[in-house]
Amino acid sequence: MFDFGVTQLIMTFTGVVVGVIFGSLPGMTATMAIAVFLPLTYAYDLTTSLYLLLGLYVGGISGGLIPAILVNIPGTPSSICTGFDGHPMAKRGEGARALRIGITASLIGGFVSLAALWLFTPPLARLAIKFSAIEKFLIILFALSVIAALSKGNMVTGVFAGFLGVLVALIGQFADNNKVRMVPRFLMVELRNGFSLLPVLIGLFAIVQILQEAETGMKEEHIDADLSNATRKFSFRDLKGQGVNLIRSAITGTFTGTLPGVGGSAASLLSYSQAKNFSKHPEKFGTGCVDGLVASEAANNGLTGGALIPLLSLGIPGDSTTAVLVGAFMLQGIQVGPLFITNNIGIWQTILFGLLIANIVMFIVMFYPIKYIAKVINLPKHRIYPVIILLCVVGSYSANNGNMFDVWATLLFGVLGYIFFKIKLPAVPFLIGFILGRDLEKYFVDSIKGSGGSLINFFTRPMAWVIWVLIFVSIGWAIYDDRREKRRARMNGQSQKGGS
Amino acid sequence: MFTVSYKPSTSHWIFPPIIMWILGILFAIMLILKIIRCKKSGTPFFGFLKSRIFVENWDKARLIGTVLLFVLYIVFMDIIGFLAASIVFVFCYNVLYAGIGQLKEIPAAVKSRAPLKNAAFRSVLISLVMAVVFSTLIWFLFGQVFRITLP
Repeated sequence: MFDFGVTQLIMTFTGVVVGVIFGSLPGMTATMAIAVFLPLTYAYDLTTSLYLLLGLYVGGISGGLIPAILVNIPGTPSSICTGFDGHPMAKRGEGARALRIGITASLIGGFVSLAALWLFTPPLARLAIKFSAIEKFLIILFALSVIAALSKGNMVTGVFAGFLGVLVALIGQFADNNKVRMVPRFLMVELRNGFSLLPVLIGLFAIVQILQEAETGMKEEHIDADLSNATRKFSFRDLKGQGVNLIRSAITGTFTGTLPGVGGSAASLLSYSQAKNFSKHPEKFGTGCVDGLVASEAANNGLTGGALIPLLSLGIPGDSTTAVLVGAFMLQGIQVGPLFITNNIGIWQTILFGLLIANIVMFIVMFYPIKYIAKVINLPKHRIYPVIILLCVVGSYSANNGNMFDVWATLLFGVLGYIFFKIKLPAVPFLIGFILGRDLEKYFVDSIKGSGGSLINFFTRPMAWVIWVLIFVSIGWAIYDDRREKRRARMNGQSQKGGS
Repeated sequence: MFTVSYKPSTSHWIFPPIIMWILGILFAIMLILKIIRCKKSGTPFFGFLKSRIFVENWDKARLIGTVLLFVLYIVFMDIIGFLAASIVFVFCYNVLYAGIGQLKEIPAAVKSRAPLKNAAFRSVLISLVMAVVFSTLIWFLFGQVFRITLP
């Protein structure tokens, strides 16, 4: 069984509160929160640390609704549609009501995704246990092809970023023959084992953000978060008639979360457009309609459990935040993948229970004191970022028990991530490629070892055929969707020209 | 065509060239797509060289300062230790992000009878307090309580 006591409750509470602060400050995300606080997990065992990390995850995703509703700026990408209806509600004096509707929808979304995680992960893992190196190789290839399918209008760039991540992961020693490759002579000691995950993560998701803010002058905008003059108060009856919308949006969010590299913004957009399509009054969307707010918030919290399904059953992270969780498992020497549940039943139960507790704590922390929590959005970023830099340095230095090269690597990947942003190369596929790169190589080499180098093996097993079909469907969809997206962009451009 | 030469001694160089080839092919596709796009829209291929890299009126001091201070922070951690370097550089970052211009007002504020009434002086003072408090807190919490290795 799992451990749960006062320490674990405090960890969850701390995680949720810090997560809500990160989530509610535009530009700071749940991914950043987990990356920065990962070093704290060295001090505890994995089960206790998980309460903190899951609290940060749930809090970080949930906190995004505060600025989305109050100022129409999503705190996290996953709250992108929350402001469409939440902000008009706030403008007519229903800010606290909108926030509480959003928080309740988030709680239900979290519960639905938790149920999906509990139901679908073990059977998927049982299936994956039967996989040989060939299927494991192909399933990672499939994950990379899904990234392509979902890089809307930028299919080739998305795949390029994914494979670039794979190449960077290959730097260093190859475990089979202990030979080092792609390492300059003067870095032979530092890069013998390649780049560590934590400096790469912190660089790509914390330093890049700070550089982007620095470029624009770190402008602070005081936001009026006064919710004392309410024209209409929240009642649980506000959610009457939202049952189908809640469940559908939570399921949509959960499903979107299972697809690697998709991210919360897609979950929010997809469920919002679904709610609009199914609504009897689609014209009310965007004017302060409860349906739209519920759809976005149930979906983004639905994402939390969904993104953990491929991670814990196949070892493939569903989004950038779960990619950071891979770092937490790696630091504790635990391999995520098909054998994870069988070998770590206690940790598996902790994840389920921790997610449940994190959702409940999130509700308690946000729902009742929302008028005070809302003031968080006015915390000055120019005072927070220096502390984040300090935490980044501590985190990257301690990734390998004290290695200054990792701090340099953090800066390197921060600058590299900033260049990626400038040349529009997506960072999430790069990160997923980086995480899966070593396994991709291992399974490829293991597959050809027994066959004397023959590649025919990849096409001879029935299970492999199924995965090949999935890969081709995914690539076919990617090409179709890419063309459709470009055509749509062209038509929008033409209509704008015509309009002007 | 459907075979790869496998020898344990050279197995570390089987996969990287495959990935490099894939990246090369993807790069070529990106170039071809770009050429087609440019031809269709009648824009020059190297037009992107003239496009803006940074946002309009980008903050040179804050952006370059962030990278430069990070480099100096790493260098100084080795020389003066984690706690001292953190206090110095968290203070520098605070001053950089709050506005370096405030430093100009400090001598006049110090000479005045009530320096605390000066906003710039108060801001620099807050920077100093934040640097000392947070650096010490993180050093104590991570290094002493949790026994996490610090520089």
